[in-house]
Amino acid sequence: MATQHSRAAARLMISPAVLLLLAWMIVPLAMTLYFSTLRYNLLMPGANPFVGWENYHYFLTDPAFTTALVNTLLLVGGVLVITVVGGILLGLLLDQPFWGQGIVRILVIAPFFVMPTVSALVWKNMFMNPVNGLFAYLFKAVGLQPFDFLAQAPLASIILIVSWQWLPFATLILLTALQSLDSEQLEAAEMDGAGFFSKFFFIMLPHLARAITVVILIQTIFLLSIFAEILVTTNGGPGLASTNLTYLVYAQSLLQFDVGLGSAGGIVAVILANIVAIFLMRMIGKNLDA
Amino acid sequence: MARAVSTQRKALVTVVAWVIGIVIFFPILWTILTSFKTEAEAIASPPSFLFFDWTTENYGEVQARSDYFRHFWNSVIISVGSTVLGLIIAVPAAWAMAFVPGKRTKDVLMWMLSTKMLPPVGVLIPIYLLFRDTGLLDTRIGLVGVLTLINLPIIVWMLYTYFKEIPGEILEACRMDGAMLKEEILYILTPMAVPGIASTLLLNVILAWNEAFWTLNLTAAKAAPLTAFIASYSSPEGLFYAKLSAASTMAIAPILILGWFSQKQLVRGLTFGAVK
Amino acid sequence: MKRLNRALFGATALCTLAATAAFAQDTTLTIATVNNGDMVRMQKLSSDFEEKNPGIKLEWVVLEENVLRQRVTTDVATKGGQYDVMTIGTYEVPIWGKQGWLVSLNDLPDSYDVDDLLPAIRGGLTVDGELYAAPFYGESSMVMYRTDLMEKAGMEMPAEPTWDDIKKAAEAMTDKENEVYGICLRGKAGWGENMAFLTAMSNSFGARWFDENWNPQFDSPEWKETIDFYLDLMNNYGPPGASSNGFNENLALFQQGKCGMWIDATVAASFVTNPNDSEVADSVGFALAPDKGLGKRSNWLWAWSLAIPAGTDAEDAAKKFIDWATSKQYLEMVAEKEGWANVPPGTRKSLYENPEYQKVPFAEMTLESINAADPTNPTVDPVPYTGVQFVAIPEFQGIATATGQQFSAALAGTTSADDALAASQALTEREMKRAGYIK
Repeated sequence: MATQHSRAAARLMISPAVLLLLAWMIVPLAMTLYFSTLRYNLLMPGANPFVGWENYHYFLTDPAFTTALVNTLLLVGGVLVITVVGGILLGLLLDQPFWGQGIVRILVIAPFFVMPTVSALVWKNMFMNPVNGLFAYLFKAVGLQPFDFLAQAPLASIILIVSWQWLPFATLILLTALQSLDSEQLEAAEMDGAGFFSKFFFIMLPHLARAITVVILIQTIFLLSIFAEILVTTNGGPGLASTNLTYLVYAQSLLQFDVGLGSAGGIVAVILANIVAIFLMRMIGKNLDA
Repeated sequence: MARAVSTQRKALVTVVAWVIGIVIFFPILWTILTSFKTEAEAIASPPSFLFFDWTTENYGEVQARSDYFRHFWNSVIISVGSTVLGLIIAVPAAWAMAFVPGKRTKDVLMWMLSTKMLPPVGVLIPIYLLFRDTGLLDTRIGLVGVLTLINLPIIVWMLYTYFKEIPGEILEACRMDGAMLKEEILYILTPMAVPGIASTLLLNVILAWNEAFWTLNLTAAKAAPLTAFIASYSSPEGLFYAKLSAASTMAIAPILILGWFSQKQLVRGLTFGAVK
Repeated sequence: MKRLNRALFGATALCTLAATAAFAQDTTLTIATVNNGDMVRMQKLSSDFEEKNPGIKLEWVVLEENVLRQRVTTDVATKGGQYDVMTIGTYEVPIWGKQGWLVSLNDLPDSYDVDDLLPAIRGGLTVDGELYAAPFYGESSMVMYRTDLMEKAGMEMPAEPTWDDIKKAAEAMTDKENEVYGICLRGKAGWGENMAFLTAMSNSFGARWFDENWNPQFDSPEWKETIDFYLDLMNNYGPPGASSNGFNENLALFQQGKCGMWIDATVAASFVTNPNDSEVADSVGFALAPDKGLGKRSNWLWAWSLAIPAGTDAEDAAKKFIDWATSKQYLEMVAEKEGWANVPPGTRKSLYENPEYQKVPFAEMTLESINAADPTNPTVDPVPYTGVQFVAIPEFQGIATATGQQFSAALAGTTSADDALAASQALTEREMKRAGYIK
């Protein structure tokens, strides 16, 4: 009886959040689904006739689509690898005792507080610019031709910028996880003559598994929809070299104001994101289970 | 002997950690420094690091062009408002999920997170039309609503993982002692939950402060926060590194300072259940 | 506590009262504009307008060009009603005017003197006899070059150069050791960036976007010649990283003395000759945009203009503001405060007849360039569209942005000229088919 009562109460407590999110998901999604079957261009008001699958056909056969798909995966994957590996290394480093720990930690987490637009602008203009940027100056100082990051390696440059923003997040979570490691266990291993690497692989890494999955899950959610950084730095180019799915949908719907095509692209992106999500949940579900 | 080695080692770690810390922080430092240069010095080659004529004229000019405080105030209201509203909705939900878990709890949680994967550009036009029809365009209320919904899944999840760490036995123990629900919440749970709520609050203020898609696309003049402020300094005619830096510094400074002062609280709860 | 509450309540009530009182009197105009130098100056000087019109309060939304364009287009097309005055260009005005999205400005007061507007500019902003936007500044493109470097090379720039003259001059001025590049041109992808330049350039090579039946022409030998010539120039004599250089980046390069020549908007002339910003202010010469002897020069025509979206609730106030910002008096006010060289150029005949303004070194060349552009007849061979550096159809933005990416990639060296042209042809055909222009 009591449990039933508390279950009802629990449902009542959850429902506002669920209902709101349901509305937030369903209303725009329904409108987008509807628009995706229309020929609807904002710049050409008129009847907006029903065209069925036409928009999906155009979006999926767009040669840019596969490129964008690959770029999205590269971008998400690249940033995840850099931030997780970097985060573990930084976490290990910051876990050691040293002078000025508090200040260094403040320095390291600072990029997380910076607006994506600002960080993209700063990196693009003040560092990566091949004439006035600081990197160009460093290249010239050692007698090299300045490297034009955003033209020659656009996707890698964006991965670098985004990684810089997310490294602090990964570091923080991984550091906290490392700090919670039982020091007795480590000492025992040391007594047994375990070197750093065996300690790392047999004790620390398994302990970190949960933290790593959390980092991957949270970051993936944000990385799938990376947009501002691309808009500010490369506009998806040169060519399609740095166009991800979000940017492609943007180019379709807001640059061409083709709401129909953009909506179809949005639906495709939602489906793909959900595939990634299911995949992630499976993987993480195991690790997160109480 | 062992002590000497450990001091040496500590010195080495100190040097490495500081170098890495400064490298990571350098872009921000450089932006702040550049904001105090004249435009000519900002692009001078070789660049001057500290020995230039410090000037605050860029800040004066940025303030004269765009009313910083209005944008700042909008940012504060929107980020704090959406976070508080989010917490009000999320605390009961997370609470129920943590203490009365059902079979579906985890599915619901994961589904909530998956709503965050909706690419905003795909639904801009529908939302814009909805906002137009409800008169919410360029209002702070509208933005508070959108950002609340966007960050709600993260809030629920953070709180859920935090609440789950509160041992249920404590609750049962006090119930046995005949404590009322009110007392249970007031004396037992609130003190235990406050750090988690504080850190959730901080993280979400940061996320909302930096959200640049909806805040830019749904506002014009009245409700425009700092993300719109910065958009008027990106790629203007001519290269104005110093003014861009000044505007950037003004846009990120409040949240940077907040983040630094509250980093302990932030870190404490920012585990998403990753630590057991 | 209670007292404090009451005091607070009183204060709030007073504020509300004050706010409603103010609301009752004031009309608030929300003005969306670009963060270009001339507009920022207008914002700075706008207190003059507010003093003269006490009942009108101005709210400014100043955004970067691409963001602004996206914002105002979304708003006007969905009738969002967030803005009362919008800054738009010669590309938008004919399309929006035709849709009935803009308020006609035919009834501006006589003092506005609409007949004083330069005919080429006025023509671009008029649809079926209705003026839908008032030009704030107009521009064409021209060659800006370093007189000192030309002298050093023992050369002279003709007033009406050909592309071969440009190539020879670029070759002579390039000195990569000292970071001096013979020519700086736009390479950053975008329909308003590299495609504006390339489309205007292709006109002088005899190329065109579409034939009379709307068939895309990127597979024509004329386009091939245009792109080859452009890539050759930029690869041999251009600065590094040219594929990410737009107007702003090139302006900075030129001002730092790193470009021998720069072919770009005529408004840039006042920036490169301004000694406060430019290291080469004293040694800049001007020439008409180059041609190839086919009868068309490679200069474009553009006017940033102020327009009122239909459905605004402050139409009269908006008209007053537009009248103020684009009037002769505004030009005089800028001249008085900032000097004649900083007056927004390219809109009024009277400005170019003013003896004071004629002393400005680039005045004459700007006027000649504007007059040399003909949006209704932009190409050597006939075309079904208007617009010099753009095609005035709604689909153009998207198509030209995508082709711009292709040519930007060709400049970066990540694709070849032939592949870029083939890809552009394919994607343009695809979009034109989708839009129903061709079968």
